[in-house]
Amino acid sequence: MHLSILKTIKSERLKLRRSPVWLAFFILPIISAFFGTFNYMSNQGVLKSEWYSLWSQHTLFLCYIFMPALIGTYCSYLWRLEHMRNNWNSFLTAPVSRTSLYMGKLTLAIAMVIAGNAWILLLYYLCGKLCGLPGLPPEEAIGWFACGILGGIVICCVQLAVSMMIRSFAIPIGIGLAGGIGGLMITNKGWGLYYPYSLYCMGMRANNPQMELDILTFIVGSIFYILLFSVVSVVCLRRHE
Amino acid sequence: MKTLQLEFYKIKRRKVWLTMFALLSVQLLWGLWAFRNPKDWELESGWLSLLHLLSLLDGIMVPTMMSVLASRLADIEHKGNTYKQLETLRSAGSLYHAKAVCGSMIIMLMFAAQFAFFILLGYHLGYEGNPDVKYYLLSYGLKVASNISLFLLQLALSMVFANQMIPLVAGLGGSMAALLLMFVSTYSFLPWGGNLSASLVRSEWDEVSRISTYCYRTFSPLETAAVVCIFVWIAVFYAAGRILFTRREV
Repeated sequence: MHLSILKTIKSERLKLRRSPVWLAFFILPIISAFFGTFNYMSNQGVLKSEWYSLWSQHTLFLCYIFMPALIGTYCSYLWRLEHMRNNWNSFLTAPVSRTSLYMGKLTLAIAMVIAGNAWILLLYYLCGKLCGLPGLPPEEAIGWFACGILGGIVICCVQLAVSMMIRSFAIPIGIGLAGGIGGLMITNKGWGLYYPYSLYCMGMRANNPQMELDILTFIVGSIFYILLFSVVSVVCLRRHE
Repeated sequence: MKTLQLEFYKIKRRKVWLTMFALLSVQLLWGLWAFRNPKDWELESGWLSLLHLLSLLDGIMVPTMMSVLASRLADIEHKGNTYKQLETLRSAGSLYHAKAVCGSMIIMLMFAAQFAFFILLGYHLGYEGNPDVKYYLLSYGLKVASNISLFLLQLALSMVFANQMIPLVAGLGGSMAALLLMFVSTYSFLPWGGNLSASLVRSEWDEVSRISTYCYRTFSPLETAAVVCIFVWIAVFYAAGRILFTRREV
C-alpha cells in the first residue's frame, strides 16, 4: 500500500514536471502581502496591534476569497490530464489501488498548501521587519500556520472531489471562488466551523488573529470533511467506468 | 454569422449559462444577506446602495468569472485540437471574432439578468420609490463595457495558451488586483479597475452615526478619462488577441 502511494506520488510529480503550476501560489501571496503592508502602513492610527494587525491585513482577502480558488486551480490541474482524451483508461488500469491513485494527488495538493502557507508566513515576517515592527512575530503564528494547513487540506479534498467529477478545468475554480465568498457570509453568521470552505480562514485567524478558536470543534470538523470527501472521491473512482 | 451560430451550437450542452448564473446566484445570496432587515435610512437610499454593492461585488468576482467564461469558450478547441481543421474552413480572424461576439452576448444577457435580480430584490425589500432608469441604464452599459474588456483580455490568453491554468490564474490575480485597487482609489486605468471607475455611486461612512450615505458621483476629468480608458482597453485587447491568435502556428 505505502509503496504504491509512493509510486503514484512519483507519477503525479512527473505529470507536473515543467509546469508553472506553483507560480500562482508564489505570486498571489506577494500581491496580497504588498497591498496588506501598504494598507497597514497607511492606517496605523487604527491598526494598533502591530504584528496581529499586519497578519489580518496580509491574510484577510487572500484566505477568504483567493486561496479556495487557488487550491481549486491546483486540484483542477491535477485532474486535467486524466480528463483529456482517453487518459482515464491508462490512469485506472495502473497496477495500484484506486485509493493510492487518489492519495497520490492528495499528497501533492497538501504539499502545495504547506508550501503556500510557509510562503505566506515568510512574507509576513519580511514585511513586518520592513515596516519596522519590533521583535519576532507572535508565537501563535505557528498555530495559525498549522491550523491553516489543516483547513487547507479540507479545501483540497473538496476541490479534488469536484474536479474529478467535473470534466471542465474552469468550473471547479468558479466553485472554489463561490465557496470562498459564501464562506464570508457563513463565517459572519457564526457557522464558519461547520462549512468546509471557511475552515481555512478560521484556522488562519484571517479576520481576527486574537480570536479564540474552538480548537476541538475545528479539528473534529476538519477531519470529518477530509474523511467525507476522501471517501466520496475514492468511491467515485472505484465506480468510474 | 454562420461562425457565430456555430459558436452557440458548440456551447449548447456545455452548461456555460449555468456556470454564469450559478456565480450570479452567489451575488444574489450576498445581496439577500447584506440587505437583510433594512432600516429606514437604508430603505431611503436603497436603490443607490444596490448600485454601489453591485460595483463592489463585480469588481471582485467578475475578473475570475470572465476567465471561466473565456476558458469555457476556448478550451473546447484546445481539447479537440480543432484549430487546424477550423482554419481550413474559415479564417482564424473570423473564428476569433465569433468567439468574442458570442462571449460579449453572454455577458450582456448575464448582466441584464443580474440587474433584473437586484431590481426585484429592491422591490422585495421595499425600497422607497423606483430605480433611476437613466442611471441604471448607464450603469448597465458601463458594466457591460468594462466586463467585455476583461473578457477580451481573458479570451486572448485562453486562445493563445493551451494550458488553461495560465489564463485562470491571471483571472484570479485580476480579482485580487481589483479588490486591492478599491482600497487605493475611486478609479483606475488598469483593466481590472473598470468596475471601480464605472461605478456611478459613491458612499461615505460616518463613524459617529455608523451610517453609510450614498450619492451619485461627479466625475473629475481624470475619472472621466479612466472611464474612457475602458473602451480603449476593449479596442486594444480585441486587436492584440486577434493578431496574436491569427499569427499563431496551429
